[in-house]
Amino acid sequence: MRIDETEDERTDGDDIPITGDELVETYPRYREEGDGYVLELPGRAAATVPNEDVLRPELSGPLENALYAHQADALAALERNENVCVATSTSSGKTRVYALQIARNYLEARARDADATAYVCYPTKALSRDQERELNDFFDRLGLDISVRVYDGDTEPGETRRQIREEADVIISNFAGVNTYLHDHDRWARFFAACDLIVIDESHTYTGVHGMHVAWIVRRLKRVLDYYDSDPQFVLTSATIGNPGEHSSALIDEPVSVVDEDGSPTGPRDLVLWNPPPQARDGGGNAADVSAEADDIEADEPEADESEDAILERVPATVEAPKLLSHLTYHDAQTLLFTPSRKLAELSVKRASKHRHDRRRYYTNPDRGSAIEPYHAGHSRRNRHGTEHQLKTGVLDGVASTNALELGINVGEMDATVQLGYPGQRQSFWQQIGRAGRGTKRALSVLVADHRTLDQYVVQNPDYLLENDVEDAVVDVDNEAVFARHLRCAADELALGERDVGAFAERERLERAVEMWRRAGQLTGYLETGVSYVGPPRPQGSISLYATSGEEYEVELADGVDGGHDPEMEPLAEERVLRDFHEGAVRLHQGQQYEVCEVDHGSPRPTVRLRPTDVDYYTRTRTDVTILDAVSEESRDVGEFTLHFGQGRVLVYHGTYDKVAVHGGEKKEQGIPTENPPLSIETQLCWLEVPDRVETALVEKYRNFSVPEMDGDLAETAHLGYAGGLHAAEHATIGVAPLELMVDKRDLGGLATLSIDSHLEQEATADADVAAGGGAPQNVAAAEATVREIASDLERDPSSGWFIYDGIDGGLGFARAIYENFEAVAARARDLITDCDCGRVDGCPACVMDDQCGNDNQPLHRDAAVDVLDQLLGNEDPGALEAHLPENEHGGDRRPPLFYS
Amino acid sequence: MTGRDGARLLALPPSAVLERPLETLRDVEATLEPDVVWVLGPSREPQAFARVRRVFDAPAFHPPLETSGDSVSRQPIADGLEIATVKGASALRASSEAVSSTLCDSDIAALVCDDVTTTTRPTALETTLEHASELAAALPVGRTTTLLTGSVPAGYDELWHLERETGAIHAVDHDPELECEPAGDDCVSVRVRGGGPTEGYGGSASFAVLECDPDGVAAIDTYEATDFGLEAVSGIGPKTADRLAEQGVTTREALLETPIETLTALPNVGQTRARKMHHHATVLETGEPRRLTDESLPGENWSKPPLCLDIETDGLSPTILWQIGVYDPATDVYRAFVERDDPADPASVLEAFCDWLLGVHPNRALLTWNGWRFDYRHLGAFIARHLPYYADEWESIPKFDLYLWAVGDENALLPGRTNELGVVADALGYEDADTALDGAQTAAAYQRFMRTGDPLEWDRHEAYCEDDCRALWHVYERFRDAPRVCQDANGSETPPAGSSADSNRSSSATADSEQTGLGDF
Repeated sequence: MRIDETEDERTDGDDIPITGDELVETYPRYREEGDGYVLELPGRAAATVPNEDVLRPELSGPLENALYAHQADALAALERNENVCVATSTSSGKTRVYALQIARNYLEARARDADATAYVCYPTKALSRDQERELNDFFDRLGLDISVRVYDGDTEPGETRRQIREEADVIISNFAGVNTYLHDHDRWARFFAACDLIVIDESHTYTGVHGMHVAWIVRRLKRVLDYYDSDPQFVLTSATIGNPGEHSSALIDEPVSVVDEDGSPTGPRDLVLWNPPPQARDGGGNAADVSAEADDIEADEPEADESEDAILERVPATVEAPKLLSHLTYHDAQTLLFTPSRKLAELSVKRASKHRHDRRRYYTNPDRGSAIEPYHAGHSRRNRHGTEHQLKTGVLDGVASTNALELGINVGEMDATVQLGYPGQRQSFWQQIGRAGRGTKRALSVLVADHRTLDQYVVQNPDYLLENDVEDAVVDVDNEAVFARHLRCAADELALGERDVGAFAERERLERAVEMWRRAGQLTGYLETGVSYVGPPRPQGSISLYATSGEEYEVELADGVDGGHDPEMEPLAEERVLRDFHEGAVRLHQGQQYEVCEVDHGSPRPTVRLRPTDVDYYTRTRTDVTILDAVSEESRDVGEFTLHFGQGRVLVYHGTYDKVAVHGGEKKEQGIPTENPPLSIETQLCWLEVPDRVETALVEKYRNFSVPEMDGDLAETAHLGYAGGLHAAEHATIGVAPLELMVDKRDLGGLATLSIDSHLEQEATADADVAAGGGAPQNVAAAEATVREIASDLERDPSSGWFIYDGIDGGLGFARAIYENFEAVAARARDLITDCDCGRVDGCPACVMDDQCGNDNQPLHRDAAVDVLDQLLGNEDPGALEAHLPENEHGGDRRPPLFYS
Repeated sequence: MTGRDGARLLALPPSAVLERPLETLRDVEATLEPDVVWVLGPSREPQAFARVRRVFDAPAFHPPLETSGDSVSRQPIADGLEIATVKGASALRASSEAVSSTLCDSDIAALVCDDVTTTTRPTALETTLEHASELAAALPVGRTTTLLTGSVPAGYDELWHLERETGAIHAVDHDPELECEPAGDDCVSVRVRGGGPTEGYGGSASFAVLECDPDGVAAIDTYEATDFGLEAVSGIGPKTADRLAEQGVTTREALLETPIETLTALPNVGQTRARKMHHHATVLETGEPRRLTDESLPGENWSKPPLCLDIETDGLSPTILWQIGVYDPATDVYRAFVERDDPADPASVLEAFCDWLLGVHPNRALLTWNGWRFDYRHLGAFIARHLPYYADEWESIPKFDLYLWAVGDENALLPGRTNELGVVADALGYEDADTALDGAQTAAAYQRFMRTGDPLEWDRHEAYCEDDCRALWHVYERFRDAPRVCQDANGSETPPAGSSADSNRSSSATADSEQTGLGDF
């Protein structure tokens, strides 16, 4: 149980061992004013409901504590036969909701001498085992004979599995398992026929590619359950996200009641936003920390610098955060440090200890509060249980953990948390700091900022964290490629028929997909009488939960490498392999550098082979992008601007790469060919058209801008400053998208262009070569030539603006979500640019530079970008540009067909 | 299985040719007796073609190496029967008139063009036919042309109607076996049939035998490359085959002459496995099955033999079990339960079957071929769903699976090259009723009945089901009479029941017995 009802009711009497202000005061180091910003968050009293108001006596009797209001609300909604999403804070007792519903169903079924089963899905196997134990204990305490069993890839095949299928009341699994097991649903007939509850725990983790697969697996599961005449209710539990109702409904394709009025008590919290102190600019390769003593030099910090350029102005969070961990435990605060990688979890423990000894004058008793251990999924299960237990019982003073402890594993409650860098999402941020806080006692949470875009945005704009909005979770079921793959599985599980029309997909979509697979020889039959699957056996096996088009690359160690170095990476989608895992690429994974030795694209089982390495550079791919044949499906006006959403083809060519020094960011070697094939994806995109008036004025305003390093005629054009503004605005909007949406920035791409029209589908070409889909340019150079050719043939002056697209075949729904939330994203982008104090017109990696840029971050123009965004958002009076409009209506320079990704 | 009305065209993927020893290819020829060998394009594989020409007596062709340039060639495959071949789709465009007139010749069974293939674009929910415009330009209108291509897996059979002028898709018919009419004068109708390897377990190369007649292709059988040569022997995978080849052992005859001690000297080969290799090689050479254990046949000691059962469905994910056939060996009576009237009612036929079985034969056991994967699985599910009052009785009936007993539990060695019941029965001398049907065809026919009400040729489809029930009993009897290996050697050589020492055989014999097509078992 997340909520520990055996926890003694503590009062505010004994306060936290160290407050936020005390931390700032006592930390042994000169600090600049404002680098340690303390926010005081108020606490919340518990809102409870007597158990007997909600539960039958058999359950309310043995239950020790009163239900929190949100638990009672959720149980009441379930009583009304609604599906429920419980979106409340960490440790607020979400598990109890479905545990009690299982118990209710069990008692009701027992009364009529029947079975009631529940299928419970967790995102990780570790959580499954943890919760199996917790749920079994809970039912034991209630005196109920409900058997809870895990059934996943680690469950022994054969008799054990048969017994679980035939006897368990509650089966715990994960969605990769559900996908596989549906093939043999007849073996699950008893379990499915009695199933009246499905639980999707930590449902907010299902977003993006993974989320859309889960949405389809749930739909497949539902049609199988329907076949067994089961119509179970759903309980989803989610961290606080912006759109729990919408997200849950998208996952399960049914209405969902949201319960998010948190009735669990929390104490007040001191939230410290900690920007590490400045350090000397990198001179000789080592990042020397000026304010530290001589022995506190941290050399070789590759993990901090994977995506950074040379601007290392502050001590990295990787160095600073372990010191805070050490300091807090010294002051008797049991502390959990969250690190972004396993290696950093290990390293942080050592650094915490080193800090004590380096500062012996301050920490006069260095062994005080020094029981600190690492925790991550790389440790054995037994080892992890030991750490969990020692945390709970107070044997440990601190733990440095990956996000393995972010999701609901029960370790009791801490005094303090430290975050090594902003975890990327508010949802995750709150989830992690929720680990601190004993009952209603004051808690302390420290965010140690790294020097990345989002970290710096957050410490500059602390209000951002406190806004009620949390990122929206995006689940998209419009991706046809993913739909089509699950349709094959569905046909394999049960013949597709009329009853699937509307339920699984709309008729037209279903008919088209069935026809596609029939023509491909993989489905047979008709919806009227039943469509069966006749392709290669077990189509479920071809579902990759991390890719859309099925081509998924296994990651393996190269021949002859000791298996102990296995990076244990999830399989990779082709799009990522081409970008980040070409031969010769150096990638950092869990703090370890790997070099890609071999990529096998052709074989039936595509593979990436790695070997561990230790070099002083990382690699960065150069990418050419062109968009063709974009078709607008929806559009809306934002002031004078027009925003579109639609489909199109994106040609991406990661043709060369650079080796970049880990320290200093110098390019050690440039333009090395990747030997990659080009990638063509059909995807979803949104784009913004800038009105002529704004464009004309800004071209004029910035016509003297030049970029000396740029070569070619294009560098000379009067449009360069304005184009740099579009380019910078494109980078910034993509950069801040994760502030609004649960997206991975790397799944988005963009293209700023002076000629949007030449990227749109041209009517003239529509009837040429339709039969074979031929004639389309197959490489980026040809595509760019096509775009230029179209540009020269355009009859009217094209619009300028920028595209944002989903970088995954078929799309992810992110471009659509950005289309719908464009103003909010644009406002964030504007703030990001104006708040950055880099003082450079072309910006810095913390604002408008992007390490994925295909044009080497040229041209970029911050001021022009801000002007465009201000006009879009209506921040500036349209008249503000009046002064720059040329007097002569036709005096414009000839527009070059420029575009930048 | 081997009607000889037309010609047998063996479609060999070049990789299967290059990766197998010559002796294995000789075994392919001796076993399958092709009239012509087609080494699949579209890529040029001169080495593979040379190997085939060296080994096979039958004439061979490899379209990419045709010397006739961009024109069409004619390849005789039997008396008065030819197929037309072109190097590729570009030749169709270059000599469209010659192609068109050649294909109108009634001696031509089909056109081979290896670069015609389908392309599926899931993001657009669309499957298109490559080179449709070339086909539209070259193929005759108003008739259906059968096109064979190595770029599409064997078993693929779709009728594409293309607009004459543009090659745009007019329509696609999905059951050309049942209905194969051309679409009209402004359309080219091309029945695309695959000859390429099928995707299956382990991705090992497969190949096909196409029975050609003047109307095109009458039947297709597929084989795994590992069903031939040394690898056909249980216990010999590719690695062991390579090691044996190093010692000069490349045929089953040679294997039988190799002493057990030599075999056990190979890595991972113990006494049991070595003896089993010998036994299975003997079975394959003589065509006589053998029993490996003292385990009795399922139901062998019962006073009455089991009832031999077979079901027909409307597809691999069935919505109705429309025919249930039962053969009683005790009385030599066959009984069929068939839903001829209301295919929307899956319960009636099932109920009639259960009434009869539980009423008339309450104490008999059932026997199937691979029933746990198909017949029992679906019967159980349908009875639980539609006749819940019979569910417990159904559960309690003893059910035997002869396939599971022989192959899964390794109690016997089979002489067939695949484990399809028809192939096994054929190898054991069963004379079938020659209905020229398989499970997929009978399912498709019933689906059409469900959709259109057009009645099936009921007699033929019932004869097919009866044939399978009787074939099953034939196989059972042959097993019953088969010698046990322990009888012709020392008793101690009998491997323990359920021994899995030899389970790594890579051929279809012990691969997962999942039913992947209605024609498989």
